Amino acid sequence: SGSGLGSGRPQPLEPSLLRFLVCPLSKRPLRYEEATNELINEELGIAYPIIDGIPNMIPEAARTTRKKPPAEGSKQP
Amino acid sequence: AAGLCPYRALLARRGGALRALCGSVRGLAAGPETHFGFQTVTEAERREKIYHVFESVAKKYDVMNDSMTLGIHRVWKDILLHKMNPSPGTLLLDVAGGTGDIAFRFINYVRSARERQLQRKLKHHQNLSWQEISESYQEDKFKSLGDSQVVVCDINKEMLKVGKQKAQHLGYSEGLSWVLGNAEELPFDDDKFDVYTIAFGIRNVTRIDLALQEAYRVLKPGGRFLCLEFSHVSNPLLSRLYDLYSFQVIPVLGEVIAGDWKSYQYLVESIRRFPPQEELKAMIEDAGFFKVDYQNLNSGIVAIHSGFKL
Repeated sequence: SGSGLGSGRPQPLEPSLLRFLVCPLSKRPLRYEEATNELINEELGIAYPIIDGIPNMIPEAARTTRKKPPAEGSKQP
Repeated sequence: AAGLCPYRALLARRGGALRALCGSVRGLAAGPETHFGFQTVTEAERREKIYHVFESVAKKYDVMNDSMTLGIHRVWKDILLHKMNPSPGTLLLDVAGGTGDIAFRFINYVRSARERQLQRKLKHHQNLSWQEISESYQEDKFKSLGDSQVVVCDINKEMLKVGKQKAQHLGYSEGLSWVLGNAEELPFDDDKFDVYTIAFGIRNVTRIDLALQEAYRVLKPGGRFLCLEFSHVSNPLLSRLYDLYSFQVIPVLGEVIAGDWKSYQYLVESIRRFPPQEELKAMIEDAGFFKVDYQNLNSGIVAIHSGFKL
């Protein structure tokens, strides 16, 4: 969910992190999507947001990328 | 009910069929029972409460640490680094690393080690040819951290925010990255890190067994697990003084300095709830670690547990 702080330029992800980061659920690799500044798990169809340069790898925070009703709105942990 | 708390907490830790039994007694929807300080709560409630504790204390976290421990927490953390003795090129995962204390110390340590390494190299190479000298300028040999890296992972946004700000303020940037993640469900690939640390964090994890399994998974073979945490004081006199200080002074400090009595009450209770040295050692062994050992600091007020993935 957006922090709404109005930071215009999204901070890029630290490139070295991509060596280590995987989806916390499936432990499978992620694709960095520059356009939306997200880390995408294609298989599960979920996207983890990067906020202020920090990837949010909590499953509850991820959004589904497929055109389904969104997962039950569990509050931010 | 208070008398049953330790019993329930024990059941919650044992897991499996007993957990289901507990759950069905309370009502399936509520989930397995665990503790929050001296209260009995569901796992979900516990996670939420703990999240709010750290959200609340984040900005005053460092100040409170200094006040409560009279600055001694800095020494404990220094000792942890000394025990780790990282060489340049080490990859560290610092879990529940929030405000960055361990990460910054790691960077300082490998930086000094790297400087000493380079000095030794220069001493031995006084008779380089001009060719060799010009080659050395081209190689990226003089990286101040020597490829060392630390990833700080924490479940709490506010703590990470404070940590990142501190890093900017103190000038730490190279070899440091931040990830919002859950110790029980790490977003890192297998066999990646040389060292895994969790300093004053494991006590706040709801499923310690899962966190330990994840620690094992992400470490490289030969990698080391290090846990710095409050533990149990066996000396009866010291124990009484410690209790007095914990229950009479700390929550008051919490109220005066951070305007938050309850969070510090939780802190003190959670220390009492946490497994003692031998029990934690057994849990670490259960996760697959070898050569598990612990070192008491200040007669057991704090302990450093260590294990290796072989």
